[in-house]
Amino acid sequence: MFLLLRDLYRTRRQLALQRPKQPSSLAVRHVDAGSCNGCEHELAAAAGPHYDLARFGLSIVASPRHADVLLVTGPVTVHMRAALLAAYEAMPEPRIVAALGNCALGRGILAATDALAGPLEDLLPVTVRIAGCPPTPEQIITGLEPLLHKAATT
Amino acid sequence: MGGGRPTGSHAEVHADEADIRSAPPDDWRDAVADLLSRGYTFGSLHATGAPDAVELRAAFIRNGGFQMVTCRPADRHAPTIVDLVPAADWDEREAADLSGLVFDGRLTRPLLKHPGQLEQWTTTVRGRDTHQVAVGPIHAGIIESGHFRFHVVGERILRVDLQLFYKHRGLERAAVGRELSEALGFAQRACAACAVTNSVAYAHACEQALGLVPSSDLARARTVLLELERLYNHLNDVGAACAGVGFSPGSMVFAALKERAQRVNQALTGHRFLFNTVQVTRSDLEVNPQSARAARVELREIRAAAEDAWREVLFHGSVQNRFAGVGVVTAANAITLGMVGPVARASGVGGDTRCASPRLVYAGFKSATPLDPGGDVRARVEMRALELPATFDLLDTLLEGGLGRAASEPAGEPVATGMAAVESPRGRTFCTIERSGPAITRLRLRTSSYANWPAVALAATDNLLPEFPLINKSFELCYACCDR
Repeated sequence: MFLLLRDLYRTRRQLALQRPKQPSSLAVRHVDAGSCNGCEHELAAAAGPHYDLARFGLSIVASPRHADVLLVTGPVTVHMRAALLAAYEAMPEPRIVAALGNCALGRGILAATDALAGPLEDLLPVTVRIAGCPPTPEQIITGLEPLLHKAATT
Repeated sequence: MGGGRPTGSHAEVHADEADIRSAPPDDWRDAVADLLSRGYTFGSLHATGAPDAVELRAAFIRNGGFQMVTCRPADRHAPTIVDLVPAADWDEREAADLSGLVFDGRLTRPLLKHPGQLEQWTTTVRGRDTHQVAVGPIHAGIIESGHFRFHVVGERILRVDLQLFYKHRGLERAAVGRELSEALGFAQRACAACAVTNSVAYAHACEQALGLVPSSDLARARTVLLELERLYNHLNDVGAACAGVGFSPGSMVFAALKERAQRVNQALTGHRFLFNTVQVTRSDLEVNPQSARAARVELREIRAAAEDAWREVLFHGSVQNRFAGVGVVTAANAITLGMVGPVARASGVGGDTRCASPRLVYAGFKSATPLDPGGDVRARVEMRALELPATFDLLDTLLEGGLGRAASEPAGEPVATGMAAVESPRGRTFCTIERSGPAITRLRLRTSSYANWPAVALAATDNLLPEFPLINKSFELCYACCDR
């Protein structure tokens, strides 16, 4: 038995097989940086019984230290700036920043007021953009799903 | 069960009484005391005007009629009214933060401003084994941002200091200078879960200032939207309370029902949160009879499923044991703090704005009353379930035959200031607008969440720290609505 396993292991190494192509999993940490609560409702719905985000391998986690993805909503208020940056700093690398909703993308009705420190793109390296006001649960899942394939191949 | 049913789909809509008078600073307190003695309830207080000419405005409401007292403080000093109206505490602190007013006779701790020094915004708690637990602004789940500082001994909460306004986006300031119809977007985006309430309150305030009154069709369209909003929110809130005690069957089934209600929203209006369905002076919403019929059928199914699900929660002993007696707010405290909405009714304090809403179709509406107004988590969650039948009844009646475009009608002289109060899923939301011609000069949105947040801190006092998430969820207030 042991010999068989050893042979299989050796064969696999010699053939230099690629890592499996099927999607892996990602842990997502959500930070509300001044949203209207619409993105939160839809994110909760995406994680809820109808859409079940977890079946794709996407889980919402309680700490940025557990997270691969920082999912940010809202136009980034002055008061949330420090907490948002602290959450990003706490994440292990490699880390991905995703902007959820038009406000986080700087396309909300609030262009600039003295209460805003955003847009998010000026503060953190955003690589995933999910537009919508608010994005529907389908749009949230469709926006996050390509990350799984990317994670599987890198 | 409160079976509020309108007397007809074309119930009488009429203008509301609104009176504004100014008082010299020395008479400011007397003017407020006079209104209170005449049975008026505090609605909202804000500061307005250029930095060198700040004015104070206090609005009051009684039976659907409004009174406003204004005053120009000398040298930025105004007498406080917080001893007369404790509910005006946050309003005065906000006015101090935004306009630099000094309220004589009280200490105004910062509210919108976030001082770095802990002593500036928390209470000093001393004693053996007392310590602080800091939570937020980022929380562990999919939750809005806000900071709570608990002063505890062991597990017991002695006091909670709230630091909210992390989500302050300056929406009211951004609205200044915009045309009335354009500035609606800022009122609406204050909060997704109360978008209709905020929009209707804003539209009512604008129409009152313009001397307009909604036609009965316009009132009907807005009433439908308000009740659709209440429906998905109440379903959400019952589910949230179940999640607060880890009762997954309850939280899952109510989350699924909320999703179905939001799909009805989508089918009727094209938006899951009913965004952009309210316009100033008119309604562009059209619902054809077939869509209305389909929605009524689906709503009846949701109603039956919600009743079944609620029965499961109601007769689940371990859930009810966790709800009962937790986070109590007495009726006296609810009145003092100016609590509004279902959470106030759960403490036995009535006052549903829908009972006196001359601009909406709520004629003959009777608010639901709790079986046992204990003011605890159990009563607050139960209130949501008790209010659902009236909402289903109203929707079934008002959706009959669909909805068409509608407009408002002239009913009086245009004025510079408009006031409105609308019952959101969380209670009375008060909106005041001031205008100069077609442009907004001041928008003030005092939402039901703003009114109720101080009560959350009070309810948590003397409870165990692990109970706080449940107490918080039994209120299920918006941070976004409050912070603006």
